[in-house]
Amino acid sequence: MIRFLLARLGEVVGVMLAVSFLVYLVLEHDAASVAVKVIGQYSTEGQRALWLSENGYDAPFLVRYVTWLGRFVTGDWGSSTHFREQVTVLLPQHLARTGILAGTAFAIIVPVAFLFGIVAGVREGSWADRVVSFIAVATTSIPEFASAVFLSAIFVFWLGILPGASTMTSGFEWQQLVLPCLVIVLYDFGYVARMVRAAMADVMAQPYIRTALMKGASPARIVLRHALRNALVAPITVIMLQIPWLISGVLVTEVFFAYKGFGTLLYQACLNSDVALIEACAMTSVFVIVSTQLISDVLYTLLNPRIRFGLRRGEA
Amino acid sequence: MSILRTTSGRPAHPEVAAVADQLLKGAIDRRAFLRTVSLLGISAASAAAFAGLAGPAAAQETPKQGGTLRYGASIMEINDPMMITWTQPSNVARNVIEFLTQVDEENITHPHLAASWDPSADLTTWKFKLQPNVKWSNGDAFTTEDVAFNIRRWIAPESKSSNKSAFSAIKEVEVVNDLEFTLHLSRPTLAIPEMLFAYTCPMVHRKFIEQGGVWTKNPIGTGPYELVEFAVGQKATLKRKAAYWGTKVHLDEIRFIDLGTDVTASIQALASGQVDIVPSINTTDIDVVKRLPNATLLVGHAAQTICIRMQVTQKPFDDLRVRQAVVLAADNQKILELGYRGLGMAAENHHVAPFQPEYFKLPPVKRDVAKAKALLAEAGYKDGIDLSLVLGNTQGRWEQDCAQILQQQLAEAGIRMKLDVKPSSEFWPIWDKVPFGLTFWAHRPLAVMTLDLAYRGGGAWNESRFASAEFDAALNKATGIVDPKQRAQAMEAVERILQDAAVMVQPFWADRFGAMSTKVRGFRLHPATYNLLGNVWLA
Repeated sequence: MIRFLLARLGEVVGVMLAVSFLVYLVLEHDAASVAVKVIGQYSTEGQRALWLSENGYDAPFLVRYVTWLGRFVTGDWGSSTHFREQVTVLLPQHLARTGILAGTAFAIIVPVAFLFGIVAGVREGSWADRVVSFIAVATTSIPEFASAVFLSAIFVFWLGILPGASTMTSGFEWQQLVLPCLVIVLYDFGYVARMVRAAMADVMAQPYIRTALMKGASPARIVLRHALRNALVAPITVIMLQIPWLISGVLVTEVFFAYKGFGTLLYQACLNSDVALIEACAMTSVFVIVSTQLISDVLYTLLNPRIRFGLRRGEA
Repeated sequence: MSILRTTSGRPAHPEVAAVADQLLKGAIDRRAFLRTVSLLGISAASAAAFAGLAGPAAAQETPKQGGTLRYGASIMEINDPMMITWTQPSNVARNVIEFLTQVDEENITHPHLAASWDPSADLTTWKFKLQPNVKWSNGDAFTTEDVAFNIRRWIAPESKSSNKSAFSAIKEVEVVNDLEFTLHLSRPTLAIPEMLFAYTCPMVHRKFIEQGGVWTKNPIGTGPYELVEFAVGQKATLKRKAAYWGTKVHLDEIRFIDLGTDVTASIQALASGQVDIVPSINTTDIDVVKRLPNATLLVGHAAQTICIRMQVTQKPFDDLRVRQAVVLAADNQKILELGYRGLGMAAENHHVAPFQPEYFKLPPVKRDVAKAKALLAEAGYKDGIDLSLVLGNTQGRWEQDCAQILQQQLAEAGIRMKLDVKPSSEFWPIWDKVPFGLTFWAHRPLAVMTLDLAYRGGGAWNESRFASAEFDAALNKATGIVDPKQRAQAMEAVERILQDAAVMVQPFWADRFGAMSTKVRGFRLHPATYNLLGNVWLA
């Protein structure tokens, strides 16, 4: 297990290094354009040249990359040109807010998706299965920007019972969380429910379920004790994949409702060519993706002892 | 004449009598009169009385004291107020730190921290007198020492503020006593009081640098409010101070809320009563705002425009006939109607707006497709010509809509114009380098400010590379003429030279839009997007 973890950690570091190089290459290979982005489009050639030499942009690209990486690793992430604030100040607060939104949505998506998925998967082809599948496909196929417009037309403009912007500037208000959460849940739960349904249907067709049934086990016991644990393995990966999506993929929802989370931060960074902020956001996203992958791999081995990662064939 | 009083109590500038005479003879309108005499130090009240204008119409409702106004804004760090590069952060600070003068929604300049000013006849020596009894929020008195500290810092050799070039005419700030100072200029400049209200010109305390140089950490000010809360990207809160030297303000608290870059969120916030003022909305949002029962649409004229300009140094635009053909084939009024829903005023390809004080009315520009074709043929393009226009939709999709309408108009004259649409981040690095480009130009109170930057030979932002000694001389002549009629006449040459050179299709002046809650009283859009909240109250 330790060897497996170390090997996976090595991979994680490798992926992050590769991505950091790509990010730096894309954003900073053209030093002149960095100067334009940082000191503004109206700056003169002279001011740009001065800024470039002051900030070490005379050095070759690889040297600049290594210097940047060194600073990044030691926690010097630079400052945002748009907000005029240290990136290390901006990023944690925005991440925390996305954490609240994503966490709430996640806490709704998982149980709802499991409930729907199990109900549908236990009896494939039943009317319950058909209804659930229809709802799941319908909600998943409506993109967030469309459901956001639709929901705010109903709850903000027509009924007037929910706030239309979720800035949370006067402190936390649960009402402001309702619409963004609803948009995310609507878009995402159907996908997870269908995964659970497929896995469940698969397991329910296995001979050991029939055996349990013939031994006279109650349906509840069959589902909870025999089927569910085995059906969890595939959806776990899907669920873990939702976490990185919830961190950076909720950009559309966050921007629409002016929710000050990680997605809004990344969006504003891109709009304003805020180089240091884009780099930090990109690295954070990559970190979330590779670390959730690592966790899901570990969960896999715990849920299914037959899976042994990191061992060569014949060793098990 | 006896009722025209200076705010300082000193005799009026010699030009005042002539300007007043012109008003009486109908040579200039009331607005031009008010603007000019207020710049020359005449009190607005006496000028308004002289012009036969009633004072401000008696308000139908008595302003109510108290309440919290919530204002949609982008909250950015404000370290050094003279280094602000956008109006939004200045609006957050505006009601805490104040300016020597104040330009109102009608482009008229009023005294503020400076109670009065008297320019010399040649407009190179300006004597200012400060408002007495003004106190900083830390208890210190506001004096000329503060003013000298600020202005000297703006124009210092190491200054990185845009004030440095704006006030390059200032040779010296002479402190006479605690309340009087004199500006000595190297060239006549009429617009000094107007320029002192630029968003980079708020007065900070004389110990600003000594005390750290970060304004939000130590927000000392002379204004009616104090900054009590500030979070970048989120919010800023101002609370009314117990004592204020000026006219009493109505609101207890002003809360600036960052509603992000998507205007939809701002309008939703307005609809659900989370915000009271959304200072800027897109033309596409106008219909939604009109339909909201709890909101009022705000409309304001501004000298903001798009310039579809050609670089006179680049082929094929080095040939005047090609440029003339493009300009003649364009129909400015149609571009305004179809591209911007008619929400503005057609322009005349010389970048001077009818509501700017220097404007001189030239004969109307007429579309002439046949002549455009003939000119093209003469220039050697009998079978038409292929052009490529670069644009970046920096203000929104309407820029591209306008370009597409121009594209169809030019096609009638055999000009095949391709559109090269770039993301705005890719457009900005090349905006002044492409041979044929569409650029958005922001509002400026005076046309000469734009003309100086964009069309003077070697001007900092001369994107068309237009250079004409004749034009520069005409512009020099117009700048520094006090008399508005004479100045407008001098502008005739300036406008005509630029229009005849056919460097651009400048289709229209774009109106500006905002929205506010029906509860808000006394708020109007300012042409420069500054927020003046002194008279604002909540019903």
